[in-house]
Amino acid sequence: MYESIGQDRFELISVAQDSGDPKAVGRWFDRASPTFRCVIDPTHQISSLFGWVNVPSAAWIDEDGTIVRSNEGTYPGESTVGFGLGKVRFGDDSFARATRDWIERGADSEYVWSSAELAGRLKPVDEDARRAEATFKLALHFEAVGDSERALKHFAAAQRLAPDNWLYHRQGWTHRGALYAGLKVLRRTSHLRKTTDKSFYDPTGLPGEKHRRFTEPEWLWTPAVRRIKQLLLREA
Amino acid sequence: MIILANGKMTKVAQRTDDTERLWVRVVDLPGATGWQMKPQGMCLGEMCVPLPDDRVEEWIADAEDWVWMCYSGFADMIGQKYVRDGDVWSLGSVPEVRRSGLEAAIAPDFELTERNGERLRLSDFRGRKVVLFTWASW
Repeated sequence: MYESIGQDRFELISVAQDSGDPKAVGRWFDRASPTFRCVIDPTHQISSLFGWVNVPSAAWIDEDGTIVRSNEGTYPGESTVGFGLGKVRFGDDSFARATRDWIERGADSEYVWSSAELAGRLKPVDEDARRAEATFKLALHFEAVGDSERALKHFAAAQRLAPDNWLYHRQGWTHRGALYAGLKVLRRTSHLRKTTDKSFYDPTGLPGEKHRRFTEPEWLWTPAVRRIKQLLLREA
Repeated sequence: MIILANGKMTKVAQRTDDTERLWVRVVDLPGATGWQMKPQGMCLGEMCVPLPDDRVEEWIADAEDWVWMCYSGFADMIGQKYVRDGDVWSLGSVPEVRRSGLEAAIAPDFELTERNGERLRLSDFRGRKVVLFTWASW
């Protein structure tokens, strides 16, 4: 996306929200051999500052340092996403197209939020969410120093305090391994689908947006995966 | 004692005669919490919060050859959440910073290290459009 829009016209900063091994995260960056700026943010500082609760998320920031749009589920195109289980196709190119429009037309782009929209969207977070944030950072600290027991305890507490924050769920579950995290994501998304109207991501409202809801691929439930699920999630 | 705040981990001295509350040496405050004690009160960047007169004696104390500030008391006053486990204290974001920043829709500044080792500050890109994008390997 960066190269096709024109590197001289804007700055793309790609931030990994990853508490894991920086070398492993770095390999993801290297594989993409990026021409843009890449940073690893092991304490999820950026998500806390911008109030993001899932990845990918993105903000457009104008020449004056003002946020003009901020969304979750901002895939650069249709992507295959791994949830520790296999690949699932996800996302669409609506965000990339809107971004191109904003880079070219600036404040005249129809995708720039008005100040009223901004005020409605960029909300302060409530007390529980702020406590959850401090708790999540405590969990990341204990994870970093190898104290798994305390890390898991605080991940669980953060998840309880801010149940809508996917980052706390996904990063916390990843502590038990990618497969465990993948199964938990599936279970939680399917539970939400049945009981609420919540999505994995809030809709961006951009034209051409599709499949905002994460659905389990049918090929997934082989007997082996079912057995692993039973054991990992201690399901009957 | 360890303080986690603003994405940073800082090791600081602990006041041994009161471990129930978070006491921070005044000299350690800026590095550990971002706040600085000034004549007008506690200051974080441009923002200053006066300390209530009736709390000054309780919150500022002389112990073990140092001047200490009861940070947990101050945090309670400004609505900043904190969680502790043993000698690790984790501080949440400061609600007022968030509120004022969001009202003006100013992108909060941050400083992180790029993959090539260079420091990256958002405010260094003023005058250019920025697309800030998060992802994760998990």
